[in-house]
Amino acid sequence: MSKISAPRSNREFIEACVKAGDAVRIKQEVDWENEAGAIVRRACELGAAAPFMEKIKDYPGFSYFGAPLSTYRRMAISLGMDPASSLPEIGKEYLKRTNSEPIAPVLVDRKDAPCKENILMGADVDLCKLPVPLVHDGDGGRYVGTWHAVVTKHPVRGDVNWGMYRQMMFDGRTMSGAVFPFSDLGKQLSEYYLPRGLSCPFATAIGLSPLAAMAACAPSPIPEPELVGMLSGEPARLVKCETNDLEVPADAEIIIEGEICPDYKVEEGPFGEYTGYRTSPRDFRVTFRVNCITYRNNATMTISNMGVPQDEGQLLRSFSLGLELEKLLRSQGIPVTGVYMHPRSTHHMMIVGVKPAYTGIAQQIAQLAFGSKLGPWFHMVMVVDDQTDIYNWDEVYHAFCTRCHPENGIHIYRNTTGTPLYPFATPHERKYSIGSKVLFDCLWPVDWDKTNDVPTLVSFKNVYPKDIQERVLANWESYGYPQVK
Amino acid sequence: MNQWEVFVMDMSELAEGKDLEISIRTLNPGKQKYTYKHVRAQVSSTLDKFPDQLQVRMGRGQLSQAKFSIKVIEEIRRLPPQYS
Repeated sequence: MSKISAPRSNREFIEACVKAGDAVRIKQEVDWENEAGAIVRRACELGAAAPFMEKIKDYPGFSYFGAPLSTYRRMAISLGMDPASSLPEIGKEYLKRTNSEPIAPVLVDRKDAPCKENILMGADVDLCKLPVPLVHDGDGGRYVGTWHAVVTKHPVRGDVNWGMYRQMMFDGRTMSGAVFPFSDLGKQLSEYYLPRGLSCPFATAIGLSPLAAMAACAPSPIPEPELVGMLSGEPARLVKCETNDLEVPADAEIIIEGEICPDYKVEEGPFGEYTGYRTSPRDFRVTFRVNCITYRNNATMTISNMGVPQDEGQLLRSFSLGLELEKLLRSQGIPVTGVYMHPRSTHHMMIVGVKPAYTGIAQQIAQLAFGSKLGPWFHMVMVVDDQTDIYNWDEVYHAFCTRCHPENGIHIYRNTTGTPLYPFATPHERKYSIGSKVLFDCLWPVDWDKTNDVPTLVSFKNVYPKDIQERVLANWESYGYPQVK
Repeated sequence: MNQWEVFVMDMSELAEGKDLEISIRTLNPGKQKYTYKHVRAQVSSTLDKFPDQLQVRMGRGQLSQAKFSIKVIEEIRRLPPQYS
């Protein structure tokens, strides 16, 4: 693999974004209560540069970096690519790197770990010492973790998990968060810790390198510390926690160490969610007790502001879910041409391009997709043929509206895994995480005669002889039209 | 006078004339703003009946027009001792 020059820390990433015009330095004081969140939200909705807020009310010495990966340009920067790279190019690079050999992390001494520059233990531990923002007005609390990694380890198997589970500050030493039962942490808790009444050590790392955040957000089967290495082309630098045996990114801005309580729950939510709504009700949820806080000098807290598209949760999860499904389908020999989730679907619709090689291929795809570890995160699969550009919504929408038979092309799967976050779900379904799924099969049936039964697509590219197409393209401007970019 | 806020799914959760066990968050300015306490308290729609003020939000964060006064009788420590 050629040398990758990706930002190795949140600080390097901010510098790279500022240099590329993809982040702005905000020098004036910003209030942690709503104002910072509102700036990030507006930046997301405009697709604007990421705000780097250097002066926070009540919290001298701290800063915020909002909307870190809410555009494909910033995603390209995070991978060390040209910011102008196209989405297919970024996807191809992601697949290349994540199909490479795993790169194990290295453990560094604590003196070489910037995240240890300040350490709060015992009576000094107080989350209120951190500039925890009120992200949206009306949220159930100030959210510590919106763009971060919750690090845990299975005590027997030793599996390390970094996951992005939202965390609300309940009081100075307590956080609560939404951990779905089908998530890696949810399974770990229900399989091991809760039945034994044991607390689960955790560490929350905030202000990660963008590729560490990408790894924490990706539904990949590869352990996240190794995935970071594969994405960045060099080992992730980890350091031991102060109060448990977990290892955390040494260059993170803030580390919060503690234990997940098996026998104590406090309320969490509501919160503005990735679907663009506040859907899940306030409830007693997984509770994190904090034992230690470490942080860098002049620490920067990262903020993701979830809401209507598009924020980094939608963009990155759409990106990684699509590519992980593509890997899965290819591993099963399905002749896919690509898989894409439009971020504006709030990662609910998977669009799969495939060569319609045999009858039932769309159903096979849907069953694999919905039945996989990825499945609980989306509820729609749309399968189009290999002539449809899956990245071009106009083409996909046309295929959907014209090729999906209302009776034969729509397949509904009932009583599947759901989440309380689905806005369309009934209160009963939300309470019990009951889902349902749908496949939109937009392929021409294989048993139709290709000459006499399959309609001909009437488009410039499809119905005119090549020489005519070339002549029209060559003369386009002389006809009086502006140049097409 | 302290200012507090509570989240409820239904206003009937704020019954007057009896002790309630609720989680309330402080709206007093400062770094502790929006942190919670779990308390035993009484509330009243008569705003000058009790010393503190209570604002109400519904389950999805909607601010209610209803206002209450509140008397915090005691903080309830539910946290198991091993986490103290």
